[in-house]
Amino acid sequence: MSTPETRKQDVEHPGQDDSQRDEQEGHARSARPQDRTTILMARQLEKTVGSGSSAITILKALDLEIHAGESVAIVGSSGSGKSTLLALLAGLDTLTHGELALFGEPLSSLDEDGRARLRAGQVGFVFQNFQLLPTLTALENVLLPLELSESSVDARQAQQWLARVGLEARVQHLPKQLSGGEQQRVAIARAFVTRPALVFADEPTGNLDRATGDRIADLLFTLNRESGTTLVLVTHDPQLAARCDRTLILDEGRLHAHGDSTAASHHEPDGVDHR
Amino acid sequence: MTARSTPDARPSTRHPSSGVAHTLQLGWAGLRRDLRAADVRALFLALVLAVAATTMIGFFLDRIGSALERQSGQLLGGDLVLVQGNPFDTQVLDTLEDAGMTTARQVNTVSMAGFDDRFQLASLKGVAPAYPLYGSFQVDFGDGAETTTQLPERHTIWVEPRLGTALGLTLGDSITLGDEPFRVSGWILEEPDHDVGLASFNPRIMINLPDLERSGLIAPGARLTWRLLAAGPPEAVRSLDDQLETWQDRGIRVIDVRKDSPRIGRALERSQQYLSLSGLAAVLLAGVAVAMATRRYVERHLDTAALMRCFGASQRQLSRIFAAQLAMLALTAAAAGAVLGLIGQWALLSLLVQFLPLELPPPGPLPLLLGMLTAVAILIGFAGPTLLRLKQVSALKVLRRELAPLPASGWVVIICASLMFGALLWLYSGDLVLSAGLLIGGLVTLVVLWGVAQVMLSLLLRGAALLPRHWRQGSRQLARRRQSSIGQILAFAVTFALMALIALVRTDLIDDWQSKLPDDAPNQFAINIQPSQRDGFISALDEITDSRSEVYPIVRGRLVEINGVTARDAVPEKARHDGNLRREINLTWAATMPDNNTLTEGAWFSDEDAREKQAATREAPVGVSVAKSMAEDLSLGIGDRLTFDIGGREITAEITSLRNVDWESFQPNFFVIFPPGPLERFSHSFITAFHLPLDEQQALGPLVQQYPSVSLLDIDAILQQVRDLLRQVSRAVELVLLFVLLAGVAVLYAALTASRPARSHEWALLRVFGAGDRRLVRTQLAEFGWLGFCSGLLGAMLAEGVSALLYGVWLDLDVRVHPSVWLLMPLGGALLIGGIGYLLSTPLRRQAPMESLRLLGEG
Ligand SMILES: Nc1ncnc2c1ncn2[C@@H]1O[C@H](COP(=O)(O)OP(=O)(O)O)[C@@H](O)[C@H]1O
Ligand SMILES: [Mg+2]
Repeated sequence: MSTPETRKQDVEHPGQDDSQRDEQEGHARSARPQDRTTILMARQLEKTVGSGSSAITILKALDLEIHAGESVAIVGSSGSGKSTLLALLAGLDTLTHGELALFGEPLSSLDEDGRARLRAGQVGFVFQNFQLLPTLTALENVLLPLELSESSVDARQAQQWLARVGLEARVQHLPKQLSGGEQQRVAIARAFVTRPALVFADEPTGNLDRATGDRIADLLFTLNRESGTTLVLVTHDPQLAARCDRTLILDEGRLHAHGDSTAASHHEPDGVDHR
Repeated sequence: MTARSTPDARPSTRHPSSGVAHTLQLGWAGLRRDLRAADVRALFLALVLAVAATTMIGFFLDRIGSALERQSGQLLGGDLVLVQGNPFDTQVLDTLEDAGMTTARQVNTVSMAGFDDRFQLASLKGVAPAYPLYGSFQVDFGDGAETTTQLPERHTIWVEPRLGTALGLTLGDSITLGDEPFRVSGWILEEPDHDVGLASFNPRIMINLPDLERSGLIAPGARLTWRLLAAGPPEAVRSLDDQLETWQDRGIRVIDVRKDSPRIGRALERSQQYLSLSGLAAVLLAGVAVAMATRRYVERHLDTAALMRCFGASQRQLSRIFAAQLAMLALTAAAAGAVLGLIGQWALLSLLVQFLPLELPPPGPLPLLLGMLTAVAILIGFAGPTLLRLKQVSALKVLRRELAPLPASGWVVIICASLMFGALLWLYSGDLVLSAGLLIGGLVTLVVLWGVAQVMLSLLLRGAALLPRHWRQGSRQLARRRQSSIGQILAFAVTFALMALIALVRTDLIDDWQSKLPDDAPNQFAINIQPSQRDGFISALDEITDSRSEVYPIVRGRLVEINGVTARDAVPEKARHDGNLRREINLTWAATMPDNNTLTEGAWFSDEDAREKQAATREAPVGVSVAKSMAEDLSLGIGDRLTFDIGGREITAEITSLRNVDWESFQPNFFVIFPPGPLERFSHSFITAFHLPLDEQQALGPLVQQYPSVSLLDIDAILQQVRDLLRQVSRAVELVLLFVLLAGVAVLYAALTASRPARSHEWALLRVFGAGDRRLVRTQLAEFGWLGFCSGLLGAMLAEGVSALLYGVWLDLDVRVHPSVWLLMPLGGALLIGGIGYLLSTPLRRQAPMESLRLLGEG
């Protein structure tokens, strides 16, 4: 278990704890070439909401570093602040204290628009409640982020992604004509269509039954691996978290690395994926 | 930082494009997809209707404006008519023609026509080529009425049938005029210009001008008037303004269609005002629809906006995309509206086409431009503040639903919309003060209505306990959603009021026209009745008709001094050329005020009063009553002393009352009325008006024979023309009413679809909790019913108030209470809204609760 102090050291002296890191990235090596680029880095992150006596600090002195190509799970009980953290990491929200860099760009130096531009085409999202636009067809929903970042859009690209998530027959359907699982597939296609460097997923299976959730998770990890994307996944479900390269636990506003005991279980779901 | 060394991971490789083309492309894609949504369709429909109404009415007024002016021109014989007692010099003619006018010379005189040993005074009209400038003749050459624009051939004349009756003529007979014989080749039934001058009191003879000149009738001492008729485009007439002044100063009488149009002018003007009013109502209704649809539109797009922020759209890009999308919506709607407007104006014109024998100018670009402008203005004004929410949305909303930006306050929306509507009013009317006044009045009214609506809801809530179950639940639901209910009630009340108002004004206008022109409106005037003939003539007349006006004496006099100062110097600059100063006017006396006059100031003189005055010193001025319009033109008031020159003798009178005179009524009307007594010593004759159906007019023959010096003026043709025109204008007005009603329906559609998702959610929840369909339907029916009832009641108040204002101030109609409005609007409102609510609930009833819940992204 790393205390906040040691995590802080991690960041300040990145060269000193190679042994610790090697241990965690051992599994990843087998899946894809190692990339040491830091994609996300947080130091002494603090988030307080409300003001005066009603103020609550959701996240305190939180440190985190995520490298290109890895998949990281952040687990915690409901209400522990996972979504809040995810929003901060994605630049959707502003921090109270600390430093945060996305793609090496310090977010504090950017305004809301600057952060949005940083995301454009580079960051994909998968949400618990899918967040498909009800008046757009599946295809149009997938096209949306593509259209925003590119001036000439090839609809075939979106179609291919829909085919990859197994929905080639449903392209022209509206979200209300799709089941929850199918909607989430569309959302996943939408997250990957811009070939982003980083995908955030907030409880991607939270609204689905177990079996459907498993299939969605399979899909998410497969696509993630195939496109070499960095994945940050937030969940309360340890089983889902276990399929990531690395698991961090959010508790009392702080992040703790997951113990070795659970690290071993990584292999099993990974194995399932490999089939 | 490590990341800086590896540019591949940096996002700079793929920057979101922000080019104009890209924005437009995104906007277009969004719009196309959005047309699936009810709110966008409502938005589109409302804009289309607003643009259609403004362009239709704009095109119509634009094209018909000049045509109607010419219509009046037809009644006068030209757009300009110059009259004087001697021939016009060529300089006048050249000036008119240089300005682009077509001219026609005309000489009018009164002469004795002889046949066998009978004689009859006739009014001769000597006409030259180019006449008639407008319209055509109806002449009977022996085989029934024929329409022609030819003039009588040389040595032949056309005569009015009553001259034939008087002289016992048949076609082909020759009558003597001056010292020449002329063959009667046709009966003239109708002439395009009805000059209501002295000359036309006698039966008409139409003659070729060279013939008239040759006949020896044009001799020194003969009573002749030379007329120069001129017709041309409005610009040409305008360009002559200064010239006309100089001519007037030289003693030429100028009749100008723009100022001296005949009596129907006012009715037409009012119908044009009505059309403008309807156009504004349609725009306002569409605005309300847009405002309501926008709320739903924005709510729906908050998620879109938040997602787009997530995917990296900047605030600017976001506003641009939505602005582009809405601009394209506005322009597409404007184009569709313009097409509809063109069709509409064509329909309006085709209703009136028989009265417009002229080539109409093609539709100009201005109304089109105005239509486009209207669409954009409505969108900015009525939707703008609400749309700003989209820009403010935070990306975080995708994670935290409750983070939607605060909705724009209803009052902000109303004020912004009012300002824009005020600006539109200003644009249409060109009157800043009026627009600002209406704007402020409108806002104050809305505040009052808002208060009344609050009270209504409180009463409803309190009274709910007394109601049967479903009604109770419905009224509670309505009162519970207080804010949104009040918003809806206000919007519906304004909608209902506008619809009612346009319908009311239409009915009252048409009624007013009909009451002014009842079937037995006088169609004949008998003038020049000598005092000695009066009793005999009147009793003979009463033998043949029982629809006769009062008999009024006429004394002709000229206003020479006002308060002891030469009249011309005493009046305001612009009144110097007023006809009432230039020519002799008809004075009369009467003990009681004429029926169709109303006293506006001062007191009517009673008999005693008059006698007392007479008994007092000779110098003490008598009282006199003056028409309000004349008093306004010459800026006269109670107490001013007027001196009249009557045949060389002067009489001074003090104004004791002002009257509103209904100039549109076809009754003898007078600018100046004296009390009985003072005028009796001057030479006078009498006038009366009466109605005699066309087929009974041969009864006039003996009367004419017995009283040859009495002149009969037949205005039946004018009357008929006015009636026909008004009937067609009424139809045009109805067509426009239909449009306003459609715009009203657009509002209801927009508003009710806007509340549908929320209701759908509520239904689903209630259904989950076990409420049955019947119960849900009844409760919803009751709720909508109450909504409609309250809106209708409020709308009735608004409609009645505004109609009083409109009638009194603008349309010059009698203010009246409309009891039917108070009954029909609340009930009709309840039925209409209740019915729509029922229809809207049909799909909800078929929907499984799960589906409704999922629609909201919560399933
Ligand atoms: N803006 C806010 N205002 C008040 N409370 C907030 C706000 N944002 C988050 N919270 C609270 O912080 C806690 C963590 O929320 P969240 O990040 O959504 O939790 P999780 O996603 O782990 O379930 C919750 O108790 C939530 O109510
Ligand atoms: Mg959460």
